[in-house]
Amino acid sequence: MRPFSYSSARTLDEAIGLLGAGARPLAGGTDLLPLMKADLGHFDRLVDIKRLAALPRRIEENGEGVVLGALATLSELAASPTLQERYRALAQAADAAATPQLRNMATLGGNLLQRPRCWYFRHSRIPCWLKGGENCPARDGENREHALFGDAPCVAVHPSDPAAALLAFDADVRLVGRAGERTLALSDFLRLPSDRRRVETSLAEEELVSAVRLAPHPPETKSIYLKAMDRKVWAFALVSVAAVLRLAERRIAHARIVLGGVAPIPWRAHAAEAALVGQAAGAGVFERAAQAALEGARPLAGNGYKLPLARALVRRALGELADAA
Amino acid sequence: MRREPEHGVVGRPHPRIEAPDKVTGRARYSADVRLPGQLQARILRSPHPHARVVGVDTGAAAALPGVRAVISSADAPAIRWYEKSLLFDTTLRFAGDEVAAVAAETEEIAEDALRLIRVEYQPLPFNVSLEDGARGEADVYRRGDAARGLREAEVVVEQVYTTQTALHNALEPHGCVAAWEGERLVLYESTQGVFSVRDGVAEALGLAKDAVRVVTPHMGGGFGAKQIAWKHSVIAALLARRAGRPVQILLERDAENLAAGNRNATRQRVRLGARRDGTLTAVEARILMQVGAYSAGGESSAVAGIYSTLYRCANVHTEQVQVFTNTGPAIAFRAPGYAEGAFGLESAMDELARALRMDPIELRLRNYAERHQEKDKPYTSPESLRRCYERVKEASAAFERQHRGKRRRGIGFAAGDWIAGSGSPPGYAWVRLEDEQHATVITGAQDIGTGTRTALCQVAADELGLPLENVSIQIGDSGAGPYGPTSHGSTTLATLGPAVRAAAEAARENRHGEGARGPNPQGKAVRTCGAQCAQVEVDLETGEITVLRLAAAHDCGLVVNPLLVDSQVLGAVTQGVGFALFEERRVDRASGLVLNANLEEYKVPTAADAPEVRNVTLSMPDLEANVLGSKGIGEPPIIPAAPAIANAVFDAVGVRIRDLPLLREKLLEALGR
Repeated sequence: MRPFSYSSARTLDEAIGLLGAGARPLAGGTDLLPLMKADLGHFDRLVDIKRLAALPRRIEENGEGVVLGALATLSELAASPTLQERYRALAQAADAAATPQLRNMATLGGNLLQRPRCWYFRHSRIPCWLKGGENCPARDGENREHALFGDAPCVAVHPSDPAAALLAFDADVRLVGRAGERTLALSDFLRLPSDRRRVETSLAEEELVSAVRLAPHPPETKSIYLKAMDRKVWAFALVSVAAVLRLAERRIAHARIVLGGVAPIPWRAHAAEAALVGQAAGAGVFERAAQAALEGARPLAGNGYKLPLARALVRRALGELADAA
Repeated sequence: MRREPEHGVVGRPHPRIEAPDKVTGRARYSADVRLPGQLQARILRSPHPHARVVGVDTGAAAALPGVRAVISSADAPAIRWYEKSLLFDTTLRFAGDEVAAVAAETEEIAEDALRLIRVEYQPLPFNVSLEDGARGEADVYRRGDAARGLREAEVVVEQVYTTQTALHNALEPHGCVAAWEGERLVLYESTQGVFSVRDGVAEALGLAKDAVRVVTPHMGGGFGAKQIAWKHSVIAALLARRAGRPVQILLERDAENLAAGNRNATRQRVRLGARRDGTLTAVEARILMQVGAYSAGGESSAVAGIYSTLYRCANVHTEQVQVFTNTGPAIAFRAPGYAEGAFGLESAMDELARALRMDPIELRLRNYAERHQEKDKPYTSPESLRRCYERVKEASAAFERQHRGKRRRGIGFAAGDWIAGSGSPPGYAWVRLEDEQHATVITGAQDIGTGTRTALCQVAADELGLPLENVSIQIGDSGAGPYGPTSHGSTTLATLGPAVRAAAEAARENRHGEGARGPNPQGKAVRTCGAQCAQVEVDLETGEITVLRLAAAHDCGLVVNPLLVDSQVLGAVTQGVGFALFEERRVDRASGLVLNANLEEYKVPTAADAPEVRNVTLSMPDLEANVLGSKGIGEPPIIPAAPAIANAVFDAVGVRIRDLPLLREKLLEALGR
C-alpha cells in the first residue's frame, strides 16, 4: 500500500472540507482499503467519518418512510425488525452480502459506493476502460460474471446486493457537500459509466452519502431478495432479483423487479413490471414477467446462462410473494 | 509383524495436544518470527507471461532510505533453478516469475522500493492453455493389449474428461525468515519438508547440508505446495547475507497463487471396454496435463496411475503427456494426479455401469483387484477396498433420490486408490525417558498440520504405558532431531509411527532409545484406498448444486486417533467439493494474466458448502505394511469426492458434465438442450 495521510474528522464541515481530489472518506473500509492495497486507488488522504456524530447511523421510521443512516452497517440492516417486517428484501439483501465479519464493518454508504468486482478492473496490471484505458477486455475475454444489459463501454456488473433492493423500494439518497444537502432518487444516483464519467455514481468528489430514505409502503406490500452465487455464501451475485409486489384482490397493484448482476448498475426490469401491474397474480403472468425481464439482454460469450437463471429467479420470487400474500 | 498395541492410548479420540497453543495464538508460525534487526523483503514479479529482461535498474530502489539490500538478474549469482532456468533468469516464463527482490526496514519501504525498480521487458509470444502448450514426450504404460481388449468388448465407453487448474490456497502462504549465524543458515520456514528445504537451499547456495537448519514448529497448511525449496527461501538467504541482518519474506496471496504451485489441469481421453457381465476387457487413457512454465520437482503427478491399478484388467494402455505453458509451475496438490485421474476413470465407470444397467458397486466388485497389477504383487490388505464398498453402501442406504419436481436429488458413487500412504522410509525418531513417568519424543520432521505431534505421542505413550499427557514431543527442526521424510504422500505417520514405537521400546531399556522405520515389504504391495457415496440436490431451474451428504470409508490401516482421521476426511471431502463445484484458476488468454489470484474470485469452499460427512472408516491394522499397522489418510479422501459428486449430479438430472468444475453455466446449458 502506498503512503497516505489519515484524518479523523470531528465535524461534518471539517470532513467535507478535507474531501476533494485525492481524498476519500473512510468508513468500514472493506472496499477502499483492498483497492488501495491492490494499487487500484491512489489516495493521498483518508478522512475517517466513522465517528461523526452529525452523520445519522440509525434506522428511523418517520412520516416520510424509513431513513437509513449511511453509517448503518449491513449487519444492522439485516437485523432491523423494521426492515425485516416492512422492507424484507433489503434485510435479506444485506444478509446475503459478504460474510459476518464484513457485514459488521461494511456501511450502507460504502456499499453503494463500492467499485465493481470485475476481475479485469481489479487486476492492477490491466488498464481496462473503467480505469481510463481504451478497451473493455472483458467484452471478449473471461466474461461469465459480466453484464447482459446497459450497453455501456464497461460490462462489469454492480456488486451491491442492498442497492438492488433499495432500487426496488424507490429509495432516495441524501448527499451532503460544500453547497449543502441534496437528495437524488437512487435511480439518478446510480449511473451507467460513460466516457465523460467513468464511475457508477453521480457523487461529487467532496460529497458524502449521509442517508438513504425508503418511501412508505402500505403494509400489504411484500418483497423478497433472491441471489444466485457460485458457492453458498461469501460471493457476489451471479444474478440476483429484488422483487416488490402489492396485491389488491388478487390483482397486482404495484410491482418492482430489479435484477442484480446483469448490468453496471442494478437493472430495473420495467417491461416485467408492466407485464404484472393490473394482472391477476398467477404462474402464467409470472412467466410472462420473467420473459419480459430479460427482453433486450445482450449476452456475451460466457454469460448466456444468466438469462435462464434470471428468469428462474424472477418466477420464483414472484411465486413466493404471491404465496405469502 | 508386531503385536497389537496394548495400552489403549492408540485408537482413542484424543484432541490435538497442540490445540490450546493454536487457539490461544501461542503457536508460532513463520510470520510470527521476530529476530533482532530483522528486515522485510518483497519480490518483484513479471507482469508478462513471457518476456526477456533487457535491462534492470535497481539504483533508485537501492538508494531509497530504509532499503538494505536489493537483488536481481543484474547481480544475482547464477543459481540453477527449475532444471533449466536460473534463480533470477533473464527469460521470464510466466506472469509472476521472479525479477528482483528488496529487503528493507519495513514492508512498506520494500514495496515502495519495488516500484522504483526500472525493468525493460521485451515481451515474447506466449500460450497459456492446455490445448496450445508445448508438449513433452509421452509417458506410456502398457499391460496386455488394450486395442484387442476394446475389439473384444461388448460395450465401450469413450469420452473426454477435463479437470481445471486448482490453487492450493493454504491459509498460511509460503514464507520464511532467513538468518545467518556465521557461515550457517537458519531458516524459519513454513514447509512440510524441513529436510527437503534444507537440502534444496544448501545445494542452491553451495553449502553443506548441515550448514543449513530449517525450523518449522507449526505451519498453516501446505497441501503439497510446500514440499520443496522454493525461490523465496534462497532469495531471503541472499538478501540476508547482503544486508548482514535476518530477512523475513512472506508471499502475498496473489504471489502465492501465481508462483507457488497449482494442481495441473488435465484432459483425459478415456476408453473402457467391458463384457455384458461387466468384466473389463480394456482400460485406455490418453492424458494431457498442464505443468505450467517449469517442472518444479517434488512428488510427481501421476494422472494415469489410478487407471492401471484400481480395477482388475488385463489390457491397459495409458499415455501421459506434460504440456508446458506460460503459467505458474504446477506442484503436488493433495493426491496429485489421482484426484484428477479419478474424475476421469470414475466418471467413465459410472457411464459404463449405466450402459450395462448395473449397480455401480456391483460393477466395481466384478472387477475387484486383489493384486497390484503394475508391480505384479498381491496387496497386503487385499480385502480392504471390498470392506470400504460394504461400509459405504450401508452408510448411504438412507440417501434418497428425488426425480420429480424442480429440486432433484441423486446419489453418486466413486472409489479411489492411492499410490503412496504406506510410508516412505527412511525415517527416524528418538525417545528419551525423563523419569519413570515422563518421556519426550524427538524427530526432525515437521507436523504439516494433520496432527502428527499428537499421533506420535499416542504411539509412544502406548508403547511406554504412560498417559498421553506425560509424553511431550520436539518436532520440526532439522538441526535438533533425526531425519524424517517430507510430509507428502500421506506417509508421515506410517513412516515415523513405527520409528517412534521402536525408539520407545529401546528407551524402556536405556532411558534413551533410537528407532528406525524398517523397509516396506518386498513381496507385497501396500494399498490405501477408499470409496465414497454422495447425495446431491440439483435445482433444475437455477443450476444450483448442493452436496447434502457424503459417506466415506477408507483403508488407512490402524486408526491411531479417530478424531484426526475424521478431520482429514472432512477436510479432504470439503476440498473435493471445491474441486468438483467451483474452484478454478482463470487465465485471460489475451494478456496471459491470472484473473483470480485472490480469495475473493478464486472460490474455496466455505462451511456452508460442506456436506454432512459420514466417515465410516474402520480401523483395519495392516501389519504387513509396517509394525504399527497404520497407513495414510491425508490425501486419499479427496480422490473419490469429485467423481462421486459428479455422478450424483448425473443421477439427479440425467445430464453429465465431463468438465470440472460443475459451474452453473455448464449445467444450465446441458439442461437446456
